[in-house]
Amino acid sequence: MFPWQKQKTEAIEKRKARKISKNLKDNVKYIEEQYSYGLNYDFESRTIQGPSGRYHLFFYSTTVDTKQLSDHIVAPLLEMKKDIPVDRIVSVPNISPITNMGDVEKGLNDGSVIIFKQGIAEGFEVNLQDFKHRAVEKAENEKTVKGPKESFTESLPTNISMLRKKIPSKDLIAENISVGTRPAVPVTLIYERDLANEKVLENIKNRISSITVDNIRNIEILEQFIEERPRSLFPTLLYTERPDNVSNFVSEGYIAIMMDNSSSCLIAPITIWSFFHSPEDRYLRWAFANFSRLIRALAYFITLFVSATYVAVTNYHSQLIPIDLLLAIASSRERVPLPIIFEVLLMEIAFELIREAGVRIPSPLGPTIGIVGALILGQAAVEANIVSPIVVIIVALSGLSSFAAANYSINHTLRISRFIFIVAASFYGLLSLLGAILLWAAYVVSISSFGVSYFSPATPSTKSSHDTFFRMILKKERWRPGFINPKDWDKK
Amino acid sequence: MRRLILILLFLQIALILTGCFDRKELEEQAYVISIGVDKTERDNIFRFTFEIANPEVGSSVSNVSTKEPAQEVVSVLGTDFLSATSTANTSVAKEITLDQVRVVIFSEKLARSKEFIHVIQSAPSTVDLKLNAQMVISKEKAEDFIRHNKPRLESRPHKYFQYMLDRARETGVIPDAPLVRFFQITEGDADLFIAPFASTAREPTDKYGAEDNYKAGEIDINGGNPTQFIGSAVFKEGQMIDTLTGEETRYTLMLDTTLPQQDILATYKDPLRPDFEISAKVQIDKAKVSIDYKKRGRSVIDVHVNAHLNVFAIPSTEDYMLDPRKRRILYASIEKQMYNKTTEMVKKSQEKYKAEPFYWSLHIRKEFLTIKDYEKADWSNKIFPNADVHLHIDVKSIEFGKTLRQSNIGKVRD
Repeated sequence: MFPWQKQKTEAIEKRKARKISKNLKDNVKYIEEQYSYGLNYDFESRTIQGPSGRYHLFFYSTTVDTKQLSDHIVAPLLEMKKDIPVDRIVSVPNISPITNMGDVEKGLNDGSVIIFKQGIAEGFEVNLQDFKHRAVEKAENEKTVKGPKESFTESLPTNISMLRKKIPSKDLIAENISVGTRPAVPVTLIYERDLANEKVLENIKNRISSITVDNIRNIEILEQFIEERPRSLFPTLLYTERPDNVSNFVSEGYIAIMMDNSSSCLIAPITIWSFFHSPEDRYLRWAFANFSRLIRALAYFITLFVSATYVAVTNYHSQLIPIDLLLAIASSRERVPLPIIFEVLLMEIAFELIREAGVRIPSPLGPTIGIVGALILGQAAVEANIVSPIVVIIVALSGLSSFAAANYSINHTLRISRFIFIVAASFYGLLSLLGAILLWAAYVVSISSFGVSYFSPATPSTKSSHDTFFRMILKKERWRPGFINPKDWDKK
Repeated sequence: MRRLILILLFLQIALILTGCFDRKELEEQAYVISIGVDKTERDNIFRFTFEIANPEVGSSVSNVSTKEPAQEVVSVLGTDFLSATSTANTSVAKEITLDQVRVVIFSEKLARSKEFIHVIQSAPSTVDLKLNAQMVISKEKAEDFIRHNKPRLESRPHKYFQYMLDRARETGVIPDAPLVRFFQITEGDADLFIAPFASTAREPTDKYGAEDNYKAGEIDINGGNPTQFIGSAVFKEGQMIDTLTGEETRYTLMLDTTLPQQDILATYKDPLRPDFEISAKVQIDKAKVSIDYKKRGRSVIDVHVNAHLNVFAIPSTEDYMLDPRKRRILYASIEKQMYNKTTEMVKKSQEKYKAEPFYWSLHIRKEFLTIKDYEKADWSNKIFPNADVHLHIDVKSIEFGKTLRQSNIGKVRD
């Protein structure tokens, strides 16, 4: 450890271990100094002179419920004539005695009220938190037509309450592990005690507790700290904002990772199939759900391969194209100055620009994107002989298909992989395209998420609910996913 | 380690630098639709004619149509397909590709000469040329055929060939003859190969030959494109020996188990009023051929053909629909007519050609254990010409189209 770091840690330890003094004045002076009383406009330090003694309250006026404070703390203290312990005077559900300054600081930071009494070397932490957060709203990024509509919000208690409502069971555990130092914040693991695999749980806990960083404020940052291959194109944690989706996963034996200030949560361990499944696949009836899966599967193949195949076939294998199409392409390309590969890349990049701009643009300007995108890049580019019409069709098709992906993370994977394939196809045509696909597939199969193979249960093959490519009729599903080795495999 | 990385890096560079060696942009190629091959005065030098499609014609509905012609025809001298291609490229700016060749046309004069086998031998070794291109024999010079062929309704030349060959094949007046079949049959050295016969020179004959008893060029058509596809050229051992009329071609295809025909339109004599004819759409099931091979003496070939007719027109207004007695006559008469024509065809091949164009050697091969035995038995010279061919033609059903009864001429003329 570096000397300056050592000094810092020692100072912090010393501060934390300081005992609460019997002398109220000492305590008040120390806390007011620590919390820059007077400078911090919302930090309140109030003395209450009641009949039973002299009390002092510390709290942030912005984080506590002031109505409860005056009704259940200030009023009883002022009225109580007998000298009895504080925890018997105040009428709040959540009060705990504390003895050192470390706990005082922690309580204040969490938004509690701290009560000191003259002559007692002990304080009380009263939990009256009232942090502001968004109400529960409709899911924005993972929409379904059929199924629950609510989504997580940026408050952990609200989110857990939504989960408890869905899984009312004593086996649903919400365990806290703290991460970071400035300040340490809790990460909550949600799992079913009688299902989740111990080894996986241990693995996740180890990875979280081995993080050495000053702070992690939300789940999106945490994801990048605990994943196995941060540079990989493939996400190994499922990011979802739907409580119903999370409860489905948790009741299969998966583990959910949540944090305050995140309107989503992470599911681990995960396989590639989960990214392609939508919660609606289970809510829809069997035939409809499988039809929707089929369409999505088609969309993935289109988005990955249609542009690459076009490049390969037109450049190297023109005999594969029916002659009418061939002549149509040749005639439309006669006045186009760019080689096919650059033509396709140009349009693909233009599409990515529209997409990126569409995400960032302030919503009042949104419609502009449509006009610019459709007119300028589509029609005008063709009329100006910059690109040929068929390329516009192909790029639009592959762009549109990429948004059929059920999950936002895998959407990026597909879109970036598409460029790899296009470039590969331009080297040796289908030969190099197939080579690239082979390497790509070999890489994907080699990935694992918290010890679970990325392609299971397809390979290695394990017992599962057979919900990989298409799903079965729900009544016939028997097994929980065997690849995460839950404590109880049998659903029935 | 560092060396390994360097080697990998260089390998990558090699990959990138050599990457584009085989790449051809689509618009930089000239697509040949049909190739014509003609005999010249000199031996083993041929005149190759390439018909190149103009992609700009008829490709886009919204674009202003260009004034350029739909095709360009270039003809050069050469010894084989590839060398002719490169010679032709001296006048065509784009790289000539044979990927999309649909039709290879040989003149009758070349087909009948001994040089034919030499020029066609270079086809399979021409990588670009696909062997499913159709072989067509033209009555006149192939170059003239290509230059005179002016389809009026199809703006693109390949469309004309595609529709024309597909349609004619369905009606059975020309055979399906991809180049690969020529090689199969010629190298098998047991059967005759037949290829479509076409002409752009009109020399109408006076006789009226029903609807298909013609050879190419003989049909009296006014207006339209001068090209006619009808009949076939017969090849024996890689050399053309004769031509068949459209009708003969149809009966030949009827007996062949490898070539499907779909809907043949044919006319038959009306059995009750011989001055009238009955026209019908005939559907013929795949023929069943069984050969009873006898080592000494005459082998017996049994051929079963089932036909289904859909009669369209009975100009004589005889009532075949409601009268079962007349219908029986009709069945018997059509069977007989078909039997006679087919027998004629078989007799012609046995006596005149001494070999058959029906690809029947496929059915005798299984009688022999080794290829040597088969070759020794000599299907084309010994077995077939002396065999007894029994034809069993069976009209399974006759339908009468949309009409339920004939109009009563007597009443109408009343």
